[in-house]
Amino acid sequence: MSPRHEEILHTADMLRWELGEQFHDRTVEALYGDAAQIAKKAVIMPGKKTRLNFERTLDHLVTNRWTGFPLMFLLLAIVFWITIEGANVPSALLADVFLDSLYPMLKSFGENIGLPWWLNGLLFDGMYLAMAWVVSVMLPPMAIFFPLFTLAEDFGYLPRVAFNLDSMFRKSGAHGKQALTMAMGYGCNAAAIISTRIIDSPRERLIAILTNNFAICNGRWPTQILIATIFVGALAPAHLSGLVSSLAVVTVVLIGIFFTFLVSWGLSKTLLKGEASFFSLELPPYRPPRIWQTLYTSVIDRTLIVLWRAVVWALPAGAVIWLVSNIHIGGVSLAEHAVNAFDPFGILIGLNGVILLAYIIAIPANEIVIPTVLMLTVLVTKVAGVGSGAGVMFELDSELATAEVLRTGGWTLLTGVNLMLFSLLHNPCSTTLYTIYKETGSAKWTTLSAVIPLGIAFVVCFVVAVVFSAIGLT
Amino acid sequence: MEIILTIALLVGGTVAGLLWRKGSFLRAIRRDKARVQLEDALKHIYDCEYNRLACTLESVAGTLALTPDKASEVIARLNALQLVTHDGRELRLTEKGRDDALRVIRIHRLWERYLADETAVREQDWHSDADKKEHLLTPQEAGELAKRLGHPPFDPHGDPIPTEEGVIPAQRGKPLLDFHAGETLKVTHVEDEPEAVFALLVREKIFPDVVAKVAANSRKGLELETEGRMIFLSAIAAANVRAVAFEQPDIAPEASKTLLSLRLGESGRVIGISHTCRGVQRRRLMDLGIVPGTEVTAELQSVSGDPVGYNIRGATIALRRQQAEMVFIE
Amino acid sequence: MKNIPEQCEVCPVNKQARLVRLGVDLSNYDFAIALAGNPNVGKSTVFNSLTGLRQHTGNWPGKTVVRAEGGYSYDNKRYKVVDLPGTYSLLSTSSDEEVARDFILFGKPDVTVIVVDATRVERNMNLVLQVLQITDRAVVCLNLIDEAERHGIKIDERQLMRELGVPVVPVIARTGEGVPTLLRNIADVATGAFVCRPRRGWTESGSLKKAVDTLAEKIGNEFPGLPNVRWVALRLLEGDQRIIDAIRSGELTSLAERAELQKKGDTQYVAAS
Repeated sequence: MSPRHEEILHTADMLRWELGEQFHDRTVEALYGDAAQIAKKAVIMPGKKTRLNFERTLDHLVTNRWTGFPLMFLLLAIVFWITIEGANVPSALLADVFLDSLYPMLKSFGENIGLPWWLNGLLFDGMYLAMAWVVSVMLPPMAIFFPLFTLAEDFGYLPRVAFNLDSMFRKSGAHGKQALTMAMGYGCNAAAIISTRIIDSPRERLIAILTNNFAICNGRWPTQILIATIFVGALAPAHLSGLVSSLAVVTVVLIGIFFTFLVSWGLSKTLLKGEASFFSLELPPYRPPRIWQTLYTSVIDRTLIVLWRAVVWALPAGAVIWLVSNIHIGGVSLAEHAVNAFDPFGILIGLNGVILLAYIIAIPANEIVIPTVLMLTVLVTKVAGVGSGAGVMFELDSELATAEVLRTGGWTLLTGVNLMLFSLLHNPCSTTLYTIYKETGSAKWTTLSAVIPLGIAFVVCFVVAVVFSAIGLT
Repeated sequence: MEIILTIALLVGGTVAGLLWRKGSFLRAIRRDKARVQLEDALKHIYDCEYNRLACTLESVAGTLALTPDKASEVIARLNALQLVTHDGRELRLTEKGRDDALRVIRIHRLWERYLADETAVREQDWHSDADKKEHLLTPQEAGELAKRLGHPPFDPHGDPIPTEEGVIPAQRGKPLLDFHAGETLKVTHVEDEPEAVFALLVREKIFPDVVAKVAANSRKGLELETEGRMIFLSAIAAANVRAVAFEQPDIAPEASKTLLSLRLGESGRVIGISHTCRGVQRRRLMDLGIVPGTEVTAELQSVSGDPVGYNIRGATIALRRQQAEMVFIE
Repeated sequence: MKNIPEQCEVCPVNKQARLVRLGVDLSNYDFAIALAGNPNVGKSTVFNSLTGLRQHTGNWPGKTVVRAEGGYSYDNKRYKVVDLPGTYSLLSTSSDEEVARDFILFGKPDVTVIVVDATRVERNMNLVLQVLQITDRAVVCLNLIDEAERHGIKIDERQLMRELGVPVVPVIARTGEGVPTLLRNIADVATGAFVCRPRRGWTESGSLKKAVDTLAEKIGNEFPGLPNVRWVALRLLEGDQRIIDAIRSGELTSLAERAELQKKGDTQYVAAS
């Protein structure tokens, strides 16, 4: 450190005191002044300030009191419809290939080359199945939902959505752009956490990260739909059951939105009270999206994320699931021990030990919760003729059969309702938690993002259980 | 049993939350009331010296809200620590005492700057919060804070923040005579010698921090307008006063319109951003092109009417109501 | 602009394009290019048209927080392209701006390409002026000129070039129009065939100018050869920790030495570093 260098720094300090506080302002003003002069000289025939007619009309429609929200809901509905309908075919196809064809082939291959039964089981029943499940459930909706989202973004529509919804979010201390990260969350929470980068105010970004979990990701949609059909839809007469179960799912989504606002508001009033906050949102001009390029990019990008996730998180989860079901202590498997230990607390909050264990070992991927629940139920209740053995996840083709297995496991309407609530509210999956850690760089916020939802999930489930028993509905 | 488990979980979460604050909690225990008093006394004596005012036992007792007995106890301890000397009634800091005082002042002012720029803490709470913080932060922590804030030269009240080495501008600003008519200034220093001139300045109520506008400046002297009074200072008197240009608040809020007054399709020319808009918030607005002279058109209203999209130098930027009312236009 | 030879230059089979996209193959590059610009100016589209890397482009500030890198080969020289986050300014303290600012100064790019939205030249000029304070090897890429034309805006590129002192190239990145010219200009600046005389300083008010002058003189004496003395002075007056550290650690000394050598046309040194 040379004394001449220190002398320069000292001079700078002295000059700063002399210049006073307006220094930065004056610099920016001077810059913009010069910029304007240069532009004046170089831009000949400056275009009329008015924007193109098309743009103005569109903006008017999009932000109008009467057409703004209906248009938004319509577009949202179309996006979801295309995603759900469009994903069915490739999902079934992938399941067909990975689960129905490849899986038995791999197993018999393992037997043929003389793998010991436990290695064969661990590799294919445990790890392979978990990975295959994640890929076939997750990949198709991601490959459809995200490109659609990206197209809307490239076109310039999404910033307008944030613009329209900002007043709602502002009231709970959040940023309008959180609407977009939430919508992203309905696809995948981990991807949504990354997308919170569009929120440049630190406080609002943290709020968006900590509440994103309340948007049901596509690993949780199938759970919601299945349980709603079995337990809620079944209450209604047959011709209405479809409608009733859809309403139940919509209610869960709305409860999620309610908790998003509630927790956002709570955070901005407590933990994040002192944090700096500012708002900026540019509404870019509408530009035609480049459809093919976007499709290509999104598919490649998302596929890679899904595959990475399947390998890094689902493989070990699959191994754990297989191991706990196949390691026995005192003649009883680890899984059964755990289920018995969790049962009292589970039943207290209107769930059961199987569900809690399934959620613990399936933290890496919400997609495998239902298969794990089914496998564990069969394991614990020892129903014969269903499933394919300890530690082998499965799904049943008919909802009726699934319902039967679950009812044998002691499930009631309360279990169903609370499972839907728990699936909505519980902690994010491990990929999401890892992403939160990477994005915030803070163990504190990562822990909170798991503890807050989990706490809420327990409390809500407990309250529902109490209400159910109070009105005699068990 | 199960209920206990539930409660344990919830309590566990709360405890975990509290533990994060452990650091500041432990420091708060260590915080020693006596030390706080000593530091506050040092700060007060320093303030007197900086502003060239006499500091006495009474003024210490008054500022720290102590009985005279208590105050003299504090002074005695400072004296024993070789931080303060007294010559007759007037208290003076030793070299070491000045260093200690500057360290405390640095932390106080840095913290105020931090609160103003980076948090949503209310203006009236800055001072009391900083009064606590100044005794808690270590110099290292203060150094880290300074780095993060870009070594701010001033606190939000316009007072200079001493450097890590304890350097502070002895005489801020320039002689009063260097200001031109129309400029607004804030007095930073009033020379107390010769006594006759000083007495005259005191009579005219020229003290540090007085804000005045130069009405005229000629060879004979300076005409100042302050708090509704017109003052004439002779060239000799004015030479004994130093001041800095004072540009806040640049606009009298009641005198002008804000962006809020624009209806869709209407335009206005920016004259400035309110001084209550600070730190990142202010820089962001300026980066977006909201500087004096910029023409802004209200262009688009969101469904609920807030925020509103403004055309600023060619781009449509959405501003919330609370931001728009900080931008003054004509 | 839309004549046939120009179009043909763009198509991949034409050898005249002399452009080979390298995607992310960044081994042994000869020149490093930084891509700067405001948000929503099609910066990522320019990036894609140079490198062929399908990085997602969006209408959104903050899209590129992680630096994207890609590469291409032109005239048998290999170029590495670094996409910087889109920012309105380089004077503030947001992390995006720090990344961009530090890279242009300390990342020592051989050329900084500043992408400008032709429909908003005035707004974008703010960033251009700031970048030109830092580096004297820059090319301004005037993107979206088709959109500007639709809005009835015409830009006198020569005048702009005279004002800024660096090449100004009109481009439609979406279609690839003008990209060959952009590549040639980047190459010219990188190899030193074209020497930029960037516009420096701005109309500062009296006291500000005096302060910058005083400090800049001291810095100039201590770090001869440093091309951006006034800007460094300005950053010191802003209390930029990164610059303070660079002065203390000697990083600025090595920057100055490197610039000195570059001026002497010692491109060998540049390529080796």
